Amino acid sequence: MVEQLHQNNQVNRAAVKGKRLRFCINDHIDILVEILKRVDGRSLGVAACVCRLWCSITRNDSLWEHLCFSHVSPPPSGVRPVVVALGGYRRLYMVCLRRVLSRLARMGSGGGDSDLVRRVWTRHQVELSLSLFCVDYYERLNGGGTGRVVSLYRCTKLVVLICVRSEANLTIYEAFGDLGFVRFCLIPISI
Amino acid sequence: MGPYDSSIFVGSSSGSSSSSFTGKPPDQIDGLLAGAGYKVRSSELRQVAQCLERLETVMVNAPTEISQLVNDAVHYNPSDLASWVDSLLSELNQPAPVTVPGGSSDYSNLSFVDSLEGLTINQTAITDDWTEHHGAQQQQDVSQQLTVVTAMEEDSGIRLVHVLLTCAESVQRGEFSLAGSLIEEMQGLLTRVNTGCGIGKVAGCFIDALSRRLYTPQGVGSIGSSYDNEILYHHFYEACPNLKFAHFTANQAILEAFDGHDCVHVIDFNLMHGLQWPALIQALALRPGGPPMLRLTGIGLPSPDGRDSLREIGLRLAELASSVNVRFAFRGVAASRLEDVKPWMLQVSPKEVVAINSIMQLHRLLGSDPTRESTIETFLRWIRNLNPKIMTVIEQEANHNQPEFIDRFTEALYYYSTMFDSLEACSTLQEKALAEIYIQREICNVVCCEGLARVERHEPLAKWRARLGGAGFQPLHLGSNAFKQASMLLTLFSAEGYCVEEKEGCLTLGWHSRPLIAASAWQAVAEPSIPIGQRLLVAVNFQTSFKPTPLAFRF
Repeated sequence: MVEQLHQNNQVNRAAVKGKRLRFCINDHIDILVEILKRVDGRSLGVAACVCRLWCSITRNDSLWEHLCFSHVSPPPSGVRPVVVALGGYRRLYMVCLRRVLSRLARMGSGGGDSDLVRRVWTRHQVELSLSLFCVDYYERLNGGGTGRVVSLYRCTKLVVLICVRSEANLTIYEAFGDLGFVRFCLIPISI
Repeated sequence: MGPYDSSIFVGSSSGSSSSSFTGKPPDQIDGLLAGAGYKVRSSELRQVAQCLERLETVMVNAPTEISQLVNDAVHYNPSDLASWVDSLLSELNQPAPVTVPGGSSDYSNLSFVDSLEGLTINQTAITDDWTEHHGAQQQQDVSQQLTVVTAMEEDSGIRLVHVLLTCAESVQRGEFSLAGSLIEEMQGLLTRVNTGCGIGKVAGCFIDALSRRLYTPQGVGSIGSSYDNEILYHHFYEACPNLKFAHFTANQAILEAFDGHDCVHVIDFNLMHGLQWPALIQALALRPGGPPMLRLTGIGLPSPDGRDSLREIGLRLAELASSVNVRFAFRGVAASRLEDVKPWMLQVSPKEVVAINSIMQLHRLLGSDPTRESTIETFLRWIRNLNPKIMTVIEQEANHNQPEFIDRFTEALYYYSTMFDSLEACSTLQEKALAEIYIQREICNVVCCEGLARVERHEPLAKWRARLGGAGFQPLHLGSNAFKQASMLLTLFSAEGYCVEEKEGCLTLGWHSRPLIAASAWQAVAEPSIPIGQRLLVAVNFQTSFKPTPLAFRF
């Protein structure tokens, strides 16, 4: 897409005789937005890396809304306030839809990301993606999850230390296990 | 049984190997043996075969356990240990000896063809024999892992299972000294088996549980605090799709039941972190016609260190609900045992529609004091009196509540080996480790505890159907939406190997067609004959006393 635009620029320059008319896409943001509405996810991400102006434009959520749901038939109504409340379309794409697409790509007949975006989404896929997005939002509300394991350390052949971070605390548990197999006892140890 | 039909291990098939040595080009490394890790030239195969024949005659004349190996040395895929355990258990039940496949027609499958083509043909023959046990992913594993299992490890693995079952029998008979010596023998065997995966891991758990039962029975009930349990539960949720399947299926059923109602109340028997409810709140927010007023009552354990964890979770859910514009109210009920919960604590109002959600909780009520009325029946009765629009029941699909210890032990060995199998597919090591500890606690409860301390009394779906039917509930079909959603969820979250099945309106999640969890939905049967006034009196009576009180009313 970006290369095409550049070539168009040069063609324009060559076509105009005499007048030094420069066409710079950055002067016509609305056209840029219209173009970016129609690209696929990866290109949109690439476009965000071009320059600061383009980066700020691509952070506009409506671009990502087009990307997410323009190929849904029938288009979901009333979804926007919910998605915006839960983090926005860009995050929805990054967290849920991209994963769904890549999984379906692995199962399906291959082809690039762009092929799959043109596929028509079913209602079930939309609903499931939204549900997963909501669960993600909720887990973030927890401050990164309650009691997430930060790391596992094998001290000796038999003893494993499990570090669990929950909210402001870090608890270290001692467990027993050999090779890959960690056994029962979670004994919190005090440092 | 699949694995017994083709004895394909190189060592035991030496009998007619000499018939297939004709017509090979010289000086090529034999393809089949190269797959087994041996670099043997085709020209030397004749000598190899003769040596193997001599070895076989020696082994046949050796002590009995080795001669058994000669007859039934077969390859087992160590990552598919559930099928192996199953075959071992069925072998124990039918002590008839396995016949050695005779005749050269069987050996044509493994004739020593040394082209690579031949190698792949052999391997597809092998995988075809195990069609009932293999998914697509494991076909690749077969070619790599066929070579890994050595005779020594197989021997130890088979012996481990035999000794485990013998030990369980001796525990049942009360012969504790014998059981103790068997446990020591098993711990010795464990050192020879890889306890990082496969049968070693499962056997390690069960040996631990048995030794706890023998030596420290009183210490068993107090493994870990509730806070630890929440951490383990969370990682079990992340590691495998079982709980996600449960949550999403229940949510779909509840959503469909709430269609058209404006005032809804959900009662959750085990709130934990409330991971199930964000998805329901979001689905209600987006339903055509707008969201209803949602009340959630979450039942959970009281937190030990004074933090009101139920209230914190309620606050988070309320925050989520307000950001998506769903009117929401939360109530937390702290109870250390589910049977301590009484209906007045739930404050159900008559104009709202009630949904009850029980994810792996009902089986805890099955242990009962024989002198009093059965806990589960009392419980189901007052649930029914709440007149819920829907009750979603998700339970493990296993039979761990039989009266005989040895039956429970065998069933548990089979079920949890399937469970460990399915966990192998988990990607994150940390999540997998903690999920395994979570399962180990369940195993410990099934094996070590007795009486009221044993809460993991899993029963299969058929028994729950009978029980709930007898308590005045009728089944609600889960519908195709739930099925489609479950299938999609599985493709998103897990390795190939999980499958969803629908049977009589209930969904079952299984690993390679062995069921792990069953989800079903129920609704209270309407009783037309008793008018409302008298029905209320009946309900009040049951809650105040179990003896019939003399009343002037007729029923």
